[in-house]
Amino acid sequence: MARYAMAIDLAACVGCAACAVACKLENEVPSGEHQLWIRMREEGIFPDLAVLYRPEQCMHCDRPPCVPVCPTGASYRSEDGLVLVDPEKCIACGACVAACPYDARFFHPDGYVGKCTFCRHRIQGGRLPACVETCPTLCRTFGDLDDPDSDVSIALREAERIDILRADRGTKPKLYYLNTPPAFGPHLEEVAS
Amino acid sequence: MTTFYGLPNSGAFWHWPTLIHFLVVALAGGTALLVAVLAFRRDLAARRYALVALILVVLDLLLLWAESSARFRLTHIWLFLGFHPGSAMWWGAWGLTGSAAASALIALGWGPRRFWATLLLMTATITLLYPGLLLAANNARPLWTPLLLAFVPVTSLVIVLGGVLLLRWAWVKPWFLAASLSSVFLGGLYLVGLAVGGFEARQALVHFWEHAGWLFLVGLGLMLSAVALLRRFPALAGLAAFAGAALARTLIVEVGQFQPFGL
Repeated sequence: MARYAMAIDLAACVGCAACAVACKLENEVPSGEHQLWIRMREEGIFPDLAVLYRPEQCMHCDRPPCVPVCPTGASYRSEDGLVLVDPEKCIACGACVAACPYDARFFHPDGYVGKCTFCRHRIQGGRLPACVETCPTLCRTFGDLDDPDSDVSIALREAERIDILRADRGTKPKLYYLNTPPAFGPHLEEVAS
Repeated sequence: MTTFYGLPNSGAFWHWPTLIHFLVVALAGGTALLVAVLAFRRDLAARRYALVALILVVLDLLLLWAESSARFRLTHIWLFLGFHPGSAMWWGAWGLTGSAAASALIALGWGPRRFWATLLLMTATITLLYPGLLLAANNARPLWTPLLLAFVPVTSLVIVLGGVLLLRWAWVKPWFLAASLSSVFLGGLYLVGLAVGGFEARQALVHFWEHAGWLFLVGLGLMLSAVALLRRFPALAGLAAFAGAALARTLIVEVGQFQPFGL
């Protein structure tokens, strides 16, 4: 069984938000909610100014804190490593929303919790997630972590730097950030130090 | 500077019905616990107050159902068709349902009262404990610390015993005194714990202070004043403690939904 993951090369991301728009359209995300968003950070003062664009979404964690807290079993981790919600079982209690360290879940107006699915409906048909397919700079790669020849495995192998968000939470996210410019360490640690 | 195109879903996800639920569940669980104690003491009032507990539990269950945007999809049945012991809400659902059943049986006077009282003692304890577990389980929210495992159930007892003091039940005074003092102590410890915690905890404390700080202190102050008022004005002490505990808990639930953006 595959173990799907995604990598985003931040050195190549230009913050065009095409991925966010593609996600919105492909998954019919309700107005005012987001499955994918772009964090823009400025560091320094002109002329030593740098800007980082970082797309964020569900990390499809290997140890998702949102799954065990679900009282109905609606939140689950599929065999291919995707963290999903079964709308037929979801009571929209918000326990998973509270548990997510990435704020990646939202209340869908139809009465269940929504989130990124890595476009499961597309990958089951052999296609790439909409955000990956639409990216004009090809900064996103997707594939099976257990397949050494998959795009994501190759990208991870060739990356000079690999970051995950909130590593301290022990969630083992499967969305990797590659080649973060040196000016941008993990924000929290920077401020703390 | 950090800005966003689109936003993480970081706003408040639990609104006023949930805040009321956190109050009603304290009343329901605490009353059920008192009924169990009364039943063990063979107090004749147990049947009457079992009815009160039943009404409160049913009210809370209705509130939970009504606040859910899935209320008309009947998905709540899945709460009882699965085994999810890792979920505080699953325990809460069974705790409340068990308390309702045991309270109803005690109120009706059917069957072995001692057995129902034991069942009610267990389910009421679960009902009292689960909100604290629900909050403390989220290590993503720095204001919902493990200390809430103690603070939430103890303030639940303050809320119920504060109400009971209006009924002039003198035997609850020592319990009320202990619960109020424990709540004030734990409330202070909560603030100190955040202040001496890591960077994220301190950041959360600043946020808490900006949004709720002095009101939280008012809540603790009301509970402390209840201790002073208890001897001469027990009813007033009950009211003050009820208000203080309800205020302090509500602020923690409301403001605690905050999660720092510092990813």
